[in-house]
Amino acid sequence: MPGRPDTALPGPGSPAAAPAVLPPRPPRPGIPMVEGTIDGIRVSVPRGTTLLEAARLCGIEIPTLCHHEGLPAEGSCRLCVAEIRGQLAVSCMFPLRDRDFRAETGSPAVMDARRYVLSLLVNRAPKAPRIARLAEEYGVAPDPRFMKDPDGCIRCGRCVRACRANGPEAIALAGRGFARTVTGPFRKPPEDCIGCLACALSCPTGKIAFSEKAGTRKIWEREFELAPCPECGARVFTREQIGFYGGQASAVCPSCRRRLMATELRKAAAYEAPGGPLLLKSV
Amino acid sequence: MRLRSIEELRALRRELTESPAPERRLWVCGGPGCLASGAQEVFAAVEAACRDRGLQGGARFRAELSGCLGLCERGPLVEVEPEGWLYGGVKPEDAAELVGETLVGGRFLDRLAADPKCREKDLIPFYLPQKRLVMARFGRTRPGNLTDYLAAGGYGALELALSELGREEAFRRVELSGLRGRGGGGFPAGRKWRALKEAAGRPRYLIANGDEGDPGAFMNRALMEGDPLSVIEGMTVGAYAMEAEEGFVYVRHEYPLSVERLNSCVRAAEEAGLLGDDILGTGMSFRLRIVEGGGAFVCGESTALTASIEGREGQPRVKYVRTTEAGLWEKPTLLQNVESWANVPMIVRNGPDWFRETGSGDNPGTKVFSLVGKVRRTGLVELPLGSSVGSLVNDAGGGVPRGRKFKAVQSGGPSGGCLPESALELPLDFDALAGAGAMMGSGGLIVMDDLSCLVDTARYFTAFLSEESCGKCAPCREGLPVILEVLTDMTEGRARPGDTDFLERQARMLAATALCGLGKSAANPVLSTLRYFRDEYLEHEGGFCRAGRCRGMYQPAVDPASCRSCGRCQKACPAEAIEGSGKEPRRVVPEKCVTCGACLAACAFEALKAHRHPEGGPDARTA
Ligand SMILES: Cc1cc2nc3c(=O)[nH]c(=O)nc-3n(C[C@H](O)[C@H](O)[C@H](O)COP(=O)(O)O)c2cc1C
Ligand code: SF4
Ligand code: SF4
Ligand code: SF4
Ligand code: FES
Ligand code: FES
Repeated sequence: MPGRPDTALPGPGSPAAAPAVLPPRPPRPGIPMVEGTIDGIRVSVPRGTTLLEAARLCGIEIPTLCHHEGLPAEGSCRLCVAEIRGQLAVSCMFPLRDRDFRAETGSPAVMDARRYVLSLLVNRAPKAPRIARLAEEYGVAPDPRFMKDPDGCIRCGRCVRACRANGPEAIALAGRGFARTVTGPFRKPPEDCIGCLACALSCPTGKIAFSEKAGTRKIWEREFELAPCPECGARVFTREQIGFYGGQASAVCPSCRRRLMATELRKAAAYEAPGGPLLLKSV
Repeated sequence: MRLRSIEELRALRRELTESPAPERRLWVCGGPGCLASGAQEVFAAVEAACRDRGLQGGARFRAELSGCLGLCERGPLVEVEPEGWLYGGVKPEDAAELVGETLVGGRFLDRLAADPKCREKDLIPFYLPQKRLVMARFGRTRPGNLTDYLAAGGYGALELALSELGREEAFRRVELSGLRGRGGGGFPAGRKWRALKEAAGRPRYLIANGDEGDPGAFMNRALMEGDPLSVIEGMTVGAYAMEAEEGFVYVRHEYPLSVERLNSCVRAAEEAGLLGDDILGTGMSFRLRIVEGGGAFVCGESTALTASIEGREGQPRVKYVRTTEAGLWEKPTLLQNVESWANVPMIVRNGPDWFRETGSGDNPGTKVFSLVGKVRRTGLVELPLGSSVGSLVNDAGGGVPRGRKFKAVQSGGPSGGCLPESALELPLDFDALAGAGAMMGSGGLIVMDDLSCLVDTARYFTAFLSEESCGKCAPCREGLPVILEVLTDMTEGRARPGDTDFLERQARMLAATALCGLGKSAANPVLSTLRYFRDEYLEHEGGFCRAGRCRGMYQPAVDPASCRSCGRCQKACPAEAIEGSGKEPRRVVPEKCVTCGACLAACAFEALKAHRHPEGGPDARTA
């Protein structure tokens, strides 16, 4: 699923993910603002804002791979580096804490570092469109001499963090060094997997395969039955998913949930509106 | 016996120092090296011999196990007190004579002398340049014995701090001492101490790093097993000075004896009222726990270490906040190497000026080095910082054995660097070594002679680091195998033109982009050897290894003018590839030679040398 923007993680009860581009950060009470420049653009943000967020406020695009808006950052792919205080830092985690900071996101050192990181990762996932596109953009190509295990996974750990954020913690990165891989416990299909797809949908390379047909879903060499939505009958959630989040109410599929919620909201809005229930007609 | 006040501690110490010392003692070295060479058996035999003579429990003659005596290579060692004699290579069979002649009879046994030329340990060249401060009590006290420790002045620093100095002055002494961290980077301890002292948030934690992951290193182990109480006292004094509540000693997984000794010392100190709640009746409390390490090299890195103590996977984290602000469980935490902590009691007791008398300028005090490789004497050496590399290699170590030439010295553990002969002039201090492209690390030094290939050395350390990479960040996980692949190609005759430059770029980028200290420093083996031995890389690119180390990449040949026809090369050659007999100079038959390098090492007259393969290029060879 390459090129897809970082979408909300699906699943009943999962928190709504943040939108891809952050709205400007308003001052927060008690947290002082710090001001500085990024690529010469002045910006003022609450202390502790990451360099990546601040850059996005300035409209500066920094490429990322292991970072996902809805998940805790880990800073492991090293693609999002920028230069601050004369040193490289991963912008997805670097907190702006000093007044008058000065960051560069396109200096020669930054570009070298990104090229280097991509030259390594492209050998792991040469066919993943998002990686291939970045590699091309930065002028690096796969090198057969160093392509030892092009299994399509760049070990960014987004799948693992997504699974953890949703609760099941079914998969993990196991092993050391080059041999580190995403797997269930004891290198077997994950027993605690509820088939929610959070891992597959958050993977930047499309490494985690899944398929759906005739009311079943396959992922991680396991098969799940999809339960029908009580409203419309669409099969969206696995029984395990519904069970994991404890109950029937949330088994309503997302589009029905949106519809139901919109109706509720409209009722409330109509009730509270200065013109009273009259407004209902015009909506 | 619980000491309820400082006065009670003083009284006990007086009592201990006034009780008569035994007339003579045999200290059988129980350090890591000697244990490996059979010291436990020697000690058992000596004890049995004492029993045979009815000496057990005797006040006059005693035999004890000691901490590492230093000259590990000659082990098992036995030191005789008070004469200061040193025996080496002692076997269990020697026990009866040792006890009868030396312990009781007071006579020196020439055949057991550790050094052929002198009896006294302190006069053996190995010990001459040394100043043993951290190791002062090794061979003077029973390791981890609280009574011995107290009798030797131990807990004097805590006593002084609690009774006279107060928190501020104890802190100030450490800050002014200029002590720098002994675990690698040499970061000024005082700056970390101040940061912790001023940090917001409670509790405050102290950690001693005893993970010692460097392969072959054992100076921290020798310390934790030889004088564990000095580490514990250092931490207790630190806890007092910085108002810390809790501490941990993080001990390498493979050191069960260290864990055992530290644990028994913690119990003994607690029972004596020197640790735990209401220390010496002053109301101060400090709890200390011994934690077994996670079993990986990277666990010595600060963020991985704290994760491991917290019970998570020992993996580094990106941190742009200092540990002294948010470390263990996000609380203010101070991490120091065990040797750093062991320096604290003497600094607080004797003051910063005393401490600065040893060492040089910005590098005060001593450092324990482990000296191994191609030198005559190897072992643990404690030198004032600022002593020259040469004094360690040539004075303490006795230089490279005859017939070979010094080539390089590798310092700082696997991610340290290799320095050339000119480095013998360098002072052993944090800044000089770092400036030269190596580092102090935890103090490991490996001496290499002309039979060592620096490309192969870089490959060896890179392989270790690649194996130990935790795999979290892309540069280290994916980039180290790239470097390793090129180095392997180079040492196996498959190098491609331009590989040398490619390696250099890869190494620089790895250092610039990796997440933690392991990856950032993993380029050092390559970068330092490239800096000083670039010619050898270029030669390998062309398929030639001048050291005669990389198989198939050279051809040994005898220089008839230097050959003395001793025939040693012939005996060493497993392929019968060397011809000639009697007084004839020997000749290598290239067709039969399997380039194992045995003849090069066997020749004592520099008559055998590695030559470029006459047909050039690695493809021309037969191996
Ligand atoms: C990969 C790696 C391994 C390390 N291993 C150790 C170790 O075994 N012992 C140690 O004291 N410090 C080790 N360090 C350094 C520690 O992170 C830390 O800097 C040190 O313990 C601080 O103590 P000091 O200031 O007293 O030297 C290691 C660092 C890295 C990056
Ligand atoms: S599909 Fe399974 S492994 Fe993937 S996030 Fe959901 S529970 Fe975890
Ligand atoms: S499977 Fe995908 S999300 Fe998971 S670590 Fe690999 S590349 Fe990242
Ligand atoms: S540099 Fe190596 S050891 Fe450190 S986090 Fe990255 S992969 Fe792990
Ligand atoms: S996106 Fe920041 S390190 Fe991966
Ligand atoms: S272990 Fe005995 S001398 Fe080092």
